[in-house]
Amino acid sequence: MFNRLLLYLELVRMEFVNNLAYRSFYFTGILNYSIQIGAYFFLWDAVYVGNRVIGGLDREAMITYVIIAWVVRSFYFSNLDRRVGTDIRDGKIALELIRPYSYQMVKYARSFGEAAFRMFFFAFPAGAAIYLIRPFTLPVGWDSVAMFVAAVLGAFVINAQISMIAGFAVFFTKSPTGVYKAKRVIMDLLSGLLLPISFYPGWAREIIQLLPFQAVSYLPNMIYLGKIRGAAAFEVLLLQVFWIAVLGFLAHLFWRFAVKHVVIQGG
Amino acid sequence: MNMHQYRPSGPLARYLTIFMHYLAQYAKIKMAYRWDFFVHIFTEFLQQSVSLIFILIIFSKVPAIQGWTRDQVLFIYGFFLVPFGIYSGFFNHLFDVPEKYVLQGEFDRILLRPINAWYQVVVETMKPELLVSMIVGIIIMIYSGSNMNLVPVWWDIPLAVILVIGAALVYAGVYTFLASLGFWSEGNLGLMPMVYNLSQYGRYPMTIYRGPVRFMLTWILPFAFVGFYPATILMHRYEYLGYALLTPVVGIVCFVIAYRVWAAGIRRYRGTGS
Amino acid sequence: MKLIEARGLTKEFRIFSRSEGVMGAFRDLFHRKYRVLRAVDEIDFAVDRGEMVGYIGANGAGKSTTIKMLTGILVPTAGTVTVNGYVPHKQRESYTKGIGVVFGQRSQLWWDIAVIESFKLLRRIYDVPRADFNRRLQQFDDILGLSSFLNLPVRKLSLGQRMRCDLAAALLHNPAILFLDEPTIGLDVLAKSKIREFLKEINNEFKTTVILTTHDLGDIEALCPRVAIIDQGKMLYDGLVDNLFSQWGQDKLEDIVKRIYMGQKPEPGLAGGGVSLV
Repeated sequence: MFNRLLLYLELVRMEFVNNLAYRSFYFTGILNYSIQIGAYFFLWDAVYVGNRVIGGLDREAMITYVIIAWVVRSFYFSNLDRRVGTDIRDGKIALELIRPYSYQMVKYARSFGEAAFRMFFFAFPAGAAIYLIRPFTLPVGWDSVAMFVAAVLGAFVINAQISMIAGFAVFFTKSPTGVYKAKRVIMDLLSGLLLPISFYPGWAREIIQLLPFQAVSYLPNMIYLGKIRGAAAFEVLLLQVFWIAVLGFLAHLFWRFAVKHVVIQGG
Repeated sequence: MNMHQYRPSGPLARYLTIFMHYLAQYAKIKMAYRWDFFVHIFTEFLQQSVSLIFILIIFSKVPAIQGWTRDQVLFIYGFFLVPFGIYSGFFNHLFDVPEKYVLQGEFDRILLRPINAWYQVVVETMKPELLVSMIVGIIIMIYSGSNMNLVPVWWDIPLAVILVIGAALVYAGVYTFLASLGFWSEGNLGLMPMVYNLSQYGRYPMTIYRGPVRFMLTWILPFAFVGFYPATILMHRYEYLGYALLTPVVGIVCFVIAYRVWAAGIRRYRGTGS
Repeated sequence: MKLIEARGLTKEFRIFSRSEGVMGAFRDLFHRKYRVLRAVDEIDFAVDRGEMVGYIGANGAGKSTTIKMLTGILVPTAGTVTVNGYVPHKQRESYTKGIGVVFGQRSQLWWDIAVIESFKLLRRIYDVPRADFNRRLQQFDDILGLSSFLNLPVRKLSLGQRMRCDLAAALLHNPAILFLDEPTIGLDVLAKSKIREFLKEINNEFKTTVILTTHDLGDIEALCPRVAIIDQGKMLYDGLVDNLFSQWGQDKLEDIVKRIYMGQKPEPGLAGGGVSLV
């Protein structure tokens, strides 16, 4: 058990170091996110004239929302879906069955290594650079910071699980790139990355609240902004735990199906 | 000698025949993976729908953005999608050049064939089904145009064709340039997503951007010419007439410069200069 | 006039050396170290029309680099080369119409489409008249037995089938020269002998010049009266295979080549193509 843990930790470290080798990432990654954030900044800056409040957010809160949403995304984002999908498409998943570890844990560990890398080399410098160019609102209290950090970790796990399931979905669709793209687009819209969920019409909000996606971006951002505090913030964390359990179970079912498929059809 | 030999009448005809053959082969492959093909088209629609929803939700909260109404912003977005479709269909996959062609050595095979290398890469990597964005764009233009009571005039169509070609050349130029960098760097520089994100600036009115950003989008990476500027003239708004008419010129200049860099990149690949 | 003529052919590469570990990756970010590698070092090489020449050398000896220069992919650092009346790297588009190239490791055909469709596409690319195309395809089919899998996509072919198709594809436009880079790699005995037979026949009938790199000396013994051996970019031997036997007084080509790779010289008493007394 302990040995397994060491293996996964080693994978985290390995992935971290591997990412260091891609030197161009240091520069272009940050620039890339800044450009993305810039687009939304200019748009929202133009949308908010006067002292308007839209969806419970004023101009400063909205701009902070966009910046935080993207900076956090630069942490949790991973190519897990592509990696799993490729393993399935190339039949490598059969090879994984003969190894003495949990396939999913290996993938999560590597993703976490990548996320750790992204935190230090994307999220922090990007956040700092943007703050220098355009200062944004900082959290109102230490409780918000602590809850936010916990919620972001939860966001990483949920996003990774959704990606894992999307990767397994390649079994059914035989169209890997289509699945990845659909996942990304749906996540952008329903997680609250593009627009705070409070902007949506009532019926859409009701649907979105029944789905796990908003726990990836919208809810952590609202904790950051102090719009969700105290007991409510704690509830968000509980909601994340709930979704992690549900998604973990779903991923497990998919994995079982995949194994059966490989055993019967030989990949 | 056989009298009915296959003899194309010139290089252009030959290249066109080759294109048709690639297209036919592509269609055959796609029919073999029919499901994949439709999923691609579906996700493309999905992506455009999300962008559309984004715009619509914003305008459900505010009547106008800096004087630009919902329908005007939609019209700009609609026009933006037309050259964007050409780019997605033919030039987007130039981003394969650094990894797949240069690093993995596929470019050797390209150089062993008696046709232009750039042309080969484009026809080998094209995804013409992504041209569907054009249709979405035209529908959005018609919808928003009629909402704002735009009365079409005879020169709208030929002008639109010229503007779309110019805008597509901007994309072709920028992506050819980026692909060429693969001849110098080892592998992908990661610039492609960055520039892609920047190209998305072109679908909103330039007036929302600050001076330096607007300057860059006009004169350095001219993505203002893939959406906003040419769209204004087709909306029959003439404040940006000069810029709008410059679109084909900018497209040509952009592509010519990029192609020279590409040619230099090939020289570098083959081991001359550095 | 020789068909291939290279003088002092040289190719140098700049190699970027990566440093180890986290700090190394950081350092490389700002400061990159290079060293110059002379992959091909002043090689002289001439081939007549219709010859079949084996070109061998240990891994990394410079074989592929030479082939890439002869096919016009790479531009030499120094030296001159003319092939089939062209300077390969200068007139690429017209020059490549007259050559065929097969890389054993990588197919030239389109992965997902039927072999015959690949051939038809190549007919357009190389501008081959339809009648010629049909006639040649028929001939190749007779020797190689392609018809059973012409309608399958390349990804479904066995390695042997794929290689036969690649060979046919490289010859559809009747090139004056055929460059083969390890054409029998990974093939079983039967597939190998089929390919060798085909190459012999092509050489006989069309007087196609064949330049062949390989690690399988059986290819050389079966096909090439002449062999060129390269090591660390330098030409160690260029001559008849038969002379090698008499020089070294050995009867196995593999042993001779092994010794040459190890840097040994033939014993003086036997040199000069004399008669072996052993």
